[in-house]
Amino acid sequence: MTELPPLKADLALRLRSVRRLRLRSLWQMLLVLFALALLLPLCANGYWIKTLVSAAAIATAVSGSALLYGQLGLVSLCQYALVGVGGWTALRLSHGLHWPFELCVLAAGIAASATGMIAGLPALRMKGLYLALVTLMMAGGYQVLISAMGFPDGGEGWLGRAQGTDRVLMARPALAESDGGYLTYAMLWLAAILGLVEWHKRSKPGRAWALIRRGEAAANAAGVDVLRYQTWAFGLAGFCAGVGGAILAGGVGQLDGRAFGASESVMLFALSVVGGVYHWLGVLLAGLLLRAVPALLTDYGVNGYLATMFFGASLVHALTTAQRGIAGQWLDGIAALSHRLRGSRVTPGVRHD
Amino acid sequence: MIDIQNVTVQFGGLKAIDSLSVQLTDPVCGLIGPNGAGKTTLVNVLSGFARVRQGCVLIDGESLLEKSPVQRVRWGLRRSFQTEQVVEDLTVWDNVLALLEQVEPPRRQQAEKVGWVLEYTGLEAVANALGAHINLFQRRKLELAKALVGAPRVLLLDEPGAGINEQEAAELRTLILGVHTLCGAQVLLIDHDVELIKSTCSQTLVLDFGRLLAVGPTLDVLNAPQVRSAYLGT
Repeated sequence: MTELPPLKADLALRLRSVRRLRLRSLWQMLLVLFALALLLPLCANGYWIKTLVSAAAIATAVSGSALLYGQLGLVSLCQYALVGVGGWTALRLSHGLHWPFELCVLAAGIAASATGMIAGLPALRMKGLYLALVTLMMAGGYQVLISAMGFPDGGEGWLGRAQGTDRVLMARPALAESDGGYLTYAMLWLAAILGLVEWHKRSKPGRAWALIRRGEAAANAAGVDVLRYQTWAFGLAGFCAGVGGAILAGGVGQLDGRAFGASESVMLFALSVVGGVYHWLGVLLAGLLLRAVPALLTDYGVNGYLATMFFGASLVHALTTAQRGIAGQWLDGIAALSHRLRGSRVTPGVRHD
Repeated sequence: MIDIQNVTVQFGGLKAIDSLSVQLTDPVCGLIGPNGAGKTTLVNVLSGFARVRQGCVLIDGESLLEKSPVQRVRWGLRRSFQTEQVVEDLTVWDNVLALLEQVEPPRRQQAEKVGWVLEYTGLEAVANALGAHINLFQRRKLELAKALVGAPRVLLLDEPGAGINEQEAAELRTLILGVHTLCGAQVLLIDHDVELIKSTCSQTLVLDFGRLLAVGPTLDVLNAPQVRSAYLGT
């Protein structure tokens, strides 16, 4: 084809304005997360700092689950098992090979990403309930495996299990040895992961995923290699979970196999929907719901397990009336408020166009 | 040129296409037939969505059936569906870009190419609108814009004018007629609208029960007694 004429000036201008808006929303997200990373350690007490570290780690994993459901419409119920895979890898490498913390986090992400791709293989043939059931079975399998193996805690051998008082905690990064510093560190990892996910959503893979969500026939007719892009999405979701697992392991110092039941994966997915899978705010909310709400109830002397009942009611609410989750409702509210405030500035009888 | 040689497609005991051999040579060809004639099945065969039991298809001398659906798109085959496939949460621009970036290496005049097809289809004004916010005619034109981007060789348009009014159909006709001059691609148009076929296609193929009923210059075919009896009911 011969050289095409350049874009018309007005179209180029409008495109630039859309790109600017998209970039601005990305910067807004990063600014909010950086502000939270700096302010939260100053505002929270020791108990809440630990809770928020855990919430940030879980939110990192939720970003993967939200990506799969929001971008591709795929229900994966093994995301918390992938958190466990990441946690196990990070602990093993930290105790066994004494790798720097950041390398342990990246290796955890890669290990969980590879596992996530395997978990995603059934998605090439099945969707909806069947995929949900298959991935739930995988989470069940992991529950059995990790209950038998346990997490590494500084011992010898391939499993790295220690006996009695020889158990050691995972070394934190030198810059973030205090709990407050570690919360900032965990929030920065969350910002990096959300940035990575948002970049994917706004570029070529995001557009390919949108076509796959529209329909496999539409995607094929547009030249999208469905196998490659679905595997990519499962790999990225697994990476998010693995990083979350490593951050969780670093926060607590060790992990307990009993906390990685299949039901945790179901809860993580359900609260991703409640929080909202289409916006990064929903990811933060899901992390808070999973960790901060039970902690809040405990703070008020109420049994934290009651949260499960509230979560069930919230899920019914989200599925029936608020499909963009709490984040969607908040964003709509903010938009309506801003519209009203802008409207109130309009002088009656004067045109402002 | 689309050269279909002895193609048979069978679903269980049903022959959806039965030993079809035909050559479509004109820049804009029509494909008509009553419901269940095998029109969409033939489009599915050409685009790789249905497998043939026997036969082969050559386009410009190149064998098509060995290629996967994705390889066919990258080769230059485009199709639209009876139900439009616009992605509602992507902008009009991104809907076109999503296809272009799958078929061509990135960056090479990408924006100009998308802008060019949007200008041709008259969608420049809504380039930044979400797919959910454009009307049915704009969605139909967007399907055509997607088919035109990235050096297409053959366009298979399955009822591109479904649901639009007379005035819009006239505009769509003009756009389809200009495709060959614009990019050199051959168009195979599948539609129930005989007026659309008559005014755009110089060669028309008629199928009935999966078999070739007639092929030739459109007016001759539409006036053939067997076509009037089987398809037009007169």
